[in-house]
Amino acid sequence: MPVDFVLSRRAFLIGCSVAASPLLTPVTFAAASGENRLLVIVLRGAMDGLDVVRPVGDANYAALRPTLAADRPLDLNGFFALHPAAAPLMPLWAAGEMAFAHAVATPYRQGRSHFVGQDALENGTGGAAGDLTDARDGWLNRALSVIPGATAETAVSVGQQRLLILEGENPNQHFFPVSESDLSLQGQTLLAAVNAADPLFAQPFAAGQDLARDTEGMALMKGRENHAQLGHYVAEQLTGPSRIASLSLGGWDTHLRQTKTMTEQLTALSDLVLAVKTGLGRHWGTTLVLALTEFGRTARENGSGGTDHGTGGLMIAAGGALKGGQVWTDWPGLADADLLAERDLMPTRDVRAFAGWALRGLYGVEASAISQVVFPGLDMGSDPALLL
Amino acid sequence: MEPASLLEEIRFGYGPRLRAARAAGGVDPDRVLAQLTAPDPEGAAWARPDLATRFALIAEDRALKKTGIGANARTTAALKDIVAADQHTAYARPTFAAAGFVERLVNLWANRITVSNASGNVPRFVQSFRDEAIRPHIGGNYGAMLRAALWHPGMQVYLSQIASIGPDSVQGKRRKRGLNENLAREFLELHSMRVGYTQEDVTQLAMLLAGMVHDDKGRRVDKGRVQPGKKLILGQTYDDSDPEAEIDRLVANVALRPETAANVGYTLARHFIADDPPADLVDSLAAAYLAHDGDLPPVYRVLLSHPAAQSPDRQKLRSPQEYVAASLRLLGITAEDDRFAKVMRRMPQALLAMGQPIYRALRPDGWPEVAQGWMTPPMMAARIDWAVDCARLAGDRIDPVAMVDTALGDLASPLLKQSATRAEQRWEGLAVLLGSPEFSRR
Repeated sequence: MPVDFVLSRRAFLIGCSVAASPLLTPVTFAAASGENRLLVIVLRGAMDGLDVVRPVGDANYAALRPTLAADRPLDLNGFFALHPAAAPLMPLWAAGEMAFAHAVATPYRQGRSHFVGQDALENGTGGAAGDLTDARDGWLNRALSVIPGATAETAVSVGQQRLLILEGENPNQHFFPVSESDLSLQGQTLLAAVNAADPLFAQPFAAGQDLARDTEGMALMKGRENHAQLGHYVAEQLTGPSRIASLSLGGWDTHLRQTKTMTEQLTALSDLVLAVKTGLGRHWGTTLVLALTEFGRTARENGSGGTDHGTGGLMIAAGGALKGGQVWTDWPGLADADLLAERDLMPTRDVRAFAGWALRGLYGVEASAISQVVFPGLDMGSDPALLL
Repeated sequence: MEPASLLEEIRFGYGPRLRAARAAGGVDPDRVLAQLTAPDPEGAAWARPDLATRFALIAEDRALKKTGIGANARTTAALKDIVAADQHTAYARPTFAAAGFVERLVNLWANRITVSNASGNVPRFVQSFRDEAIRPHIGGNYGAMLRAALWHPGMQVYLSQIASIGPDSVQGKRRKRGLNENLAREFLELHSMRVGYTQEDVTQLAMLLAGMVHDDKGRRVDKGRVQPGKKLILGQTYDDSDPEAEIDRLVANVALRPETAANVGYTLARHFIADDPPADLVDSLAAAYLAHDGDLPPVYRVLLSHPAAQSPDRQKLRSPQEYVAASLRLLGITAEDDRFAKVMRRMPQALLAMGQPIYRALRPDGWPEVAQGWMTPPMMAARIDWAVDCARLAGDRIDPVAMVDTALGDLASPLLKQSATRAEQRWEGLAVLLGSPEFSRR
């Protein structure tokens, strides 16, 4: 059973700004023998894969996204281009330490619910309805049981929320090293909407938010520092006995003003990943980072400069252990007929396969154990050759 | 099947508790009133030292203090601990109560007849005031409550009655001291009649009350401070032969006046129904009060049976104390839960920021009973902060959509349900619920 060790510093602190920088949630760690390291980042809120890695070579892309496609992305391979806010990560791409899997998704296809989708992602279920496995545990926890030499020493989960991905029978710990941030933009928007709907509350609520915003500049600074701090903390753990870590990064639910929010999100993610690399030093060479999200977003942008819940999405991989510089995809196309339900990027591969191959490559987990224990029912498919 | 309305627990309690039986189907007057006579496990579980215990400790503290510097460290610390633990009950009882109506009434009447933590000994008596002057009478007679409150040492200290001396009494003449009208005035203005008395009535009442004492030797009248002669109050004459009995007779007379009946009716209707309550309801409540000689349960029954009690239109705003209790009930926190200890530490600051520091009403007229008193921007921001922290505390295994149903049932608007669904993380969906006007309304 995981044990709470540290409480967040912000917990029960009153008077803090309700304005938000992107969310940091708990970090979870597990230890295994050997030098190979795995960091799994759960990107909560459904990252818009089509905006992060843009299919600029697809003839239908620009018309679907008049606002979002307006800036100048960074070329990756002639067909795909990276969101400009992810520029700090370009050196990793150039060094072969970054890769992407596009048009991927979990098996969850019914409902487009964040909660169900995140549970499905962390549980590793094969159910199309997002129904969890009987044990309702996390796939990374189950992986501990089949990784040769994995020990119990490990495990730490911190703060008020734990990650399902590492919950289960196998011991792990839970820490929370940095101060919590507040509601995501989406959360703030929803809260503002329910308050605006009540004449008694509308004005004082808005004025209260203004008060909070007065300190937003400071909060954002704090938020940026937090991501780097979190990255260094994770690196510190992975240079100790831990070999597997998981954390979540929220704030990807970009229904409106996506240009602004995505810039903040990608800046945060870049800060985090680069801090992990710096902190790991020579161990970066034996590290793989996988960033997964519950699902993608609509192919078309919506009427408020954002995108809505979709299906096919993007996985981001980084690390010195990675055979990077590539975008793995069986590209489905963006013509109306190519889209799922005429709205979403059609997923062409189960994203769990990449995580499965990563476990196989890093820790020598048997393929049968992956498709029976870690990801029940998974068809691993061909080896994408993730690792050097 | 239509989900049953949870109005009873929301309007006449502190909202539904997670995993507890629901009082569904709208407001059932019999079911609510049954709470008044049901066993009181919550009250017992959070029992606090009684007045005698407090007096004994204060006396011991004084005695020790005389024996040397620091000799009373233990007793002083014990008194401090008592005051701190007293304040925990203010949120523990509503949070854990099965029967929310009882706790709502205690808070309502202890606010109508306020004793606030002022300086001196008052903090040591506030809980006793609530437990021994108010609580025993919420299901009884209002006159008996007025009498218990008037005589309670917390009240006598808070409203300066201990300083009041009949100007023509033995002590008054010797010390050249006189009346302090504070308690006499508030008794008429706030506790009982509100209108219909004159300054002369206040002065005459102050004459009658002069000499009241309630200390470790019990309650009595100090003969040396009694103003001699007759007092004419509200058309009735009181004499100086048996001051204690005369004071009690005065209270009984005032309790049965139509102005007091109207004030009780208005207080109940404004607290439970609307900031500007329907006049017919106030009149009906006052009539029931007079018809039953100030017995409160028949008055409550009229309130609970009025159409406004069943209206899904929730016009009242939860006070901060009600709001935090409602949110903790929704989380299903128990006293043994380690999260409760965390909440206990956070609570005083949170309530201060929302505008309602525990037991520290700013004035003798108590906390605001209207929404505008709690709706300044910083107070609203503090509610949102609470909502966010509370939602984080609940963690990520809750289902915010189910929580909307638990909290509000069929009262939840489509907008709120949709918003809880659309949050990107579970805890954020819960924060949207806790920070919504719908959750703050009752």
